[in-house]
Amino acid sequence: MIRHSKSDRYARIEFVALLAAFALFLSTVEYLIPKPVPFMRIGLANLPLIIGLGILKDREYIMLALLKVLGQGLVTGTIFSYIIVFSLGGTIASALVMYVLYRFGKRWISLVGVSIGGAMASNGVQLLLSQLILFGDAARLIAPPFLIVGLITSIILGIFAQQFVQTSTWYRMELEKCS
Amino acid sequence: MKQFKLGDIALLVISLAIVISSFNSYGDFTGKPEVRVRAGNQEWVYDLSVDTFATFYGPVGETTMEIQDGKVHVHDSDCRNKVCIAAGWVSKPGDWIICLPNDVFILVEGTMASQEGGVDDTAF
Repeated sequence: MIRHSKSDRYARIEFVALLAAFALFLSTVEYLIPKPVPFMRIGLANLPLIIGLGILKDREYIMLALLKVLGQGLVTGTIFSYIIVFSLGGTIASALVMYVLYRFGKRWISLVGVSIGGAMASNGVQLLLSQLILFGDAARLIAPPFLIVGLITSIILGIFAQQFVQTSTWYRMELEKCS
Repeated sequence: MKQFKLGDIALLVISLAIVISSFNSYGDFTGKPEVRVRAGNQEWVYDLSVDTFATFYGPVGETTMEIQDGKVHVHDSDCRNKVCIAAGWVSKPGDWIICLPNDVFILVEGTMASQEGGVDDTAF
C-alpha cells in the first residue's frame, strides 16, 4: 500500500467526514430527547470521537472534534449564542482527556474507561463554565444530577463503543486501510 | 464482561467519588437550623430559632426578611413581581427563597428535631 498517495489522503478525509456526519446525526437524535435541564447532555455525539480514537491521526482527531461542535451548534441552533462556548469547552476537554487516556493508557483502560474520563472532563468543564458565566455559586446545585447522568450514559456509550470496535468488520477494514 | 480492564474500574471509582462529593454542595444539613442569606457578594447566617427582621440591599432596592417561630419569609421587597414574597414561609432544611431582580438568595440549612424521621425530599 502506498502511504501518502492522493487517493489515500482522500480516503482519510472521507473517513473524518463520515464520522463527522455520524456525529451530526447523533446530535439530532440527542436534541430530540427531552431533558430537564438544557445543558444536560447524554453525549451520544461523542460516540464518533470514541470510535475514531483508534484510527484517526492527531490532526484529524482535532478536526473531528471541531466538526462535532459545529454540527451540534447547527442542529440545536445555538451556534451564535453563548451556549456554543459550553459545547466547545466540553468537547475540547473530553476529546483531550479521551485522547490522553487512549494513547497512554491503552493497556489498562478500555473504551469504557476512556468514555467515562471524557464525560467527566466534559461535565467538569461545563460546570466550571456555568459557574463563571451563568449561575455563579449556584452552579454547585446542578452538579450532582449533571454528573450522575453523564457517568451513567458514558458507561453505556463506552460499552457500546468497545463492542463495536471489537466486532465491526467495517471498523476492521477501515483500520487496515488507514494503518 | 471481559472487556473491562483494571483502569476502567479505577476511573469508575474516581468518578463515583467525584459524584458523591458533589452532593456536599447541598450544604451541611446536620447542624442546627440556620438561615443562609446571600445578597450580591455578601453572605449572612441567621439562627432560625431567633425571631429577627433583616434588610438586604440589592440592585433594585431593599429586601426585608423576617424570621418568626422557626420559619422564614420575605416580608417586603422592592422588586417588581414580588415572587419572593409570594413564596411564603419556609422552614425545612433545603428550602429556599430567591429574589432574582434584587439578587437575594435565602437558604435554610441544618436539621430540625421535629423533622427527623420525616421524608427527606432533598435526597435523590
